[in-house]
Amino acid sequence: MTEQPSSSPSRNQDRSSAFSVDHISKTYPVPFLRLKKMFRRKFKPPVEAVRDVSFEVGEGEIFGLIGPNGAGKTTLTKMIATLIQPTSGQVTVKGFDSVRDDEDVRRNVGLAGAEERSFYWRLNAEQNLLFFARLYGLSGKLARQRIAELLELLQLGDLTRKRFAELSTGNKQRLSVARAMLANPPILLLDEPTRSLDPIAAARMRATIKSLTQNHERRVTVFLTSHNLAEVEELCDRVAVIGRGEIRALDTPRNLKARHTENEQVSIMFSAPDAMEVESALRAAFSIQSLILERSTAIDAWLLKFSRQNEDDVLDSVLRVLQQSNCVIRGIESERATLLDVLESYEEEETAGKEEGK
Amino acid sequence: MNPLLFLRRIWAFVARDWRLELSYRMQFFLRVLSILIVVTTLFFISKIFTGFADPRFSQWRDPLAAWLTGLAVLNYFMTGFSSLANAIRQEQVQGTLESVLMTPISVPTVIVASSAWDFVQATFFSSLYLVFGWLFFNVHYQGNFLLALAFLLLTTFVLLCLGILSASFAMVFKRGDPFGIFLGAGSALFSGVFFPTQLIGEYAGRVSSISRILPPTYGLDGIRRVLIEGQGFTQVQEPLVTLLLFLVVLLPLSLWVFGRAIRRAKREGSLIQY
Repeated sequence: MTEQPSSSPSRNQDRSSAFSVDHISKTYPVPFLRLKKMFRRKFKPPVEAVRDVSFEVGEGEIFGLIGPNGAGKTTLTKMIATLIQPTSGQVTVKGFDSVRDDEDVRRNVGLAGAEERSFYWRLNAEQNLLFFARLYGLSGKLARQRIAELLELLQLGDLTRKRFAELSTGNKQRLSVARAMLANPPILLLDEPTRSLDPIAAARMRATIKSLTQNHERRVTVFLTSHNLAEVEELCDRVAVIGRGEIRALDTPRNLKARHTENEQVSIMFSAPDAMEVESALRAAFSIQSLILERSTAIDAWLLKFSRQNEDDVLDSVLRVLQQSNCVIRGIESERATLLDVLESYEEEETAGKEEGK
Repeated sequence: MNPLLFLRRIWAFVARDWRLELSYRMQFFLRVLSILIVVTTLFFISKIFTGFADPRFSQWRDPLAAWLTGLAVLNYFMTGFSSLANAIRQEQVQGTLESVLMTPISVPTVIVASSAWDFVQATFFSSLYLVFGWLFFNVHYQGNFLLALAFLLLTTFVLLCLGILSASFAMVFKRGDPFGIFLGAGSALFSGVFFPTQLIGEYAGRVSSISRILPPTYGLDGIRRVLIEGQGFTQVQEPLVTLLLFLVVLLPLSLWVFGRAIRRAKREGSLIQY
């Protein structure tokens, strides 16, 4: 069963809408079904790639879409980009309908897909971008100026004259992002923008994406799909989890994690004159079931581990007891659920659903 | 539609294809050489028929002139017919079709722009047949060149419409195009490129009616009447009107079908497939 998003997170209340997806579904039709029926040929049932998906993305927001392979991420992205038509429902971009006003929608959207074969391999980076810039209606001078800016921004400046075929996979991907940004569209659809980048280049790409949404003169809205969950957590204001074509959850990364588990694992490193006394004091003060005290020989200190509920006052109380026992706090670490845990829990749910259905 | 923007987009395609062509220089020189070899071969074959021309076929008194006109024009017609389908197919195979259709470009612009470079090339290579004939083999043309040009353009537009239908097939079915088979093989055989169409009637009876439903038959006949027989506007009205009728029917039909084909490919999510 599809989980309903909490307290209207499908809409970002603080910002005006950049685009909205309203009850869209995509069923891949069986090609030439009528002919097949006429000749009584066997045919596979239609494939439902996206099912009744709705959400709204606000201006200047970074919206993430995560889910396993084949969940419907690319289909959904392509429907927003007008490359695939929804079977039902409506996508509205800056007030334009994606089917009826597809040209206007494309004027407002730049797509950097994960597909490597989307450039002309025998043309160099600049020639490729120049071609697409002209299709976006940029004059020669303006196009060259914009291309130079973008190549510089994406650290491709020294590869301008290199044939696309000779670029590394990561650089091809950066070029795809540059193409999406050519006409300075207010909305960017980025399909796994850092997939093939080395860690430093990926960090720079993330910084670039972040900076685009923070430019107050022209705030860009970013719709991002990624399998790098740490990246999604770092960048996105809100995240939708998609599975088997349906939105399973939609919220801020923090709320998603909180919804997954309300507990947080805390580890406190301290040195104490008498650790046994400290333990007795702690057990006397709290009824923490999971309290573990162990000696770490590596750092010559004690390690206190316990779990607590998000934002309760247990941590503060534990610290007080430790200080009253003359302990020296060396460090505190807390471990919350990650988006990976969230994703895994939805996958487990899905698998359990499948098993039940058998 | 903003005409400046429209021209800018066409220029983008022409410049792109020119650059791609430059990356295959050898192919260009080999094609020029092959045209010269064909013209030379036809010159020697034509010498076999010197003095044997049948007076019934006035356009064939100089067979070399008739063949060169036929080949030059056929090359142009075939470009009109096949350029868009080839361009679509190439973009599908390269995987660039989605990127092109992701830009705010309209369907008519895609049609014109995708074919533009092929026409530039066809104009060059077609004129080579005529230029080589004139330069090396003393072939002379007469008559109203503007009228011949009008025939050329009109027939090309008609074939472009069939090409749009053909591209629609490429868009939906990816491979297997009935128009290609019909027009590709049919035009050379039934449109009078290598021999007068009247001969088909004499030897194969009703089969000759095939040549009457092929637009290149009228285009080629008109161009030869003007360039070889020196006929004027009033004498070539019949093929001219026939071509216009073809255009009036095929233009709206082909644009409608192409729009439907793009919609279907988007519905199936198969723009990038081939």
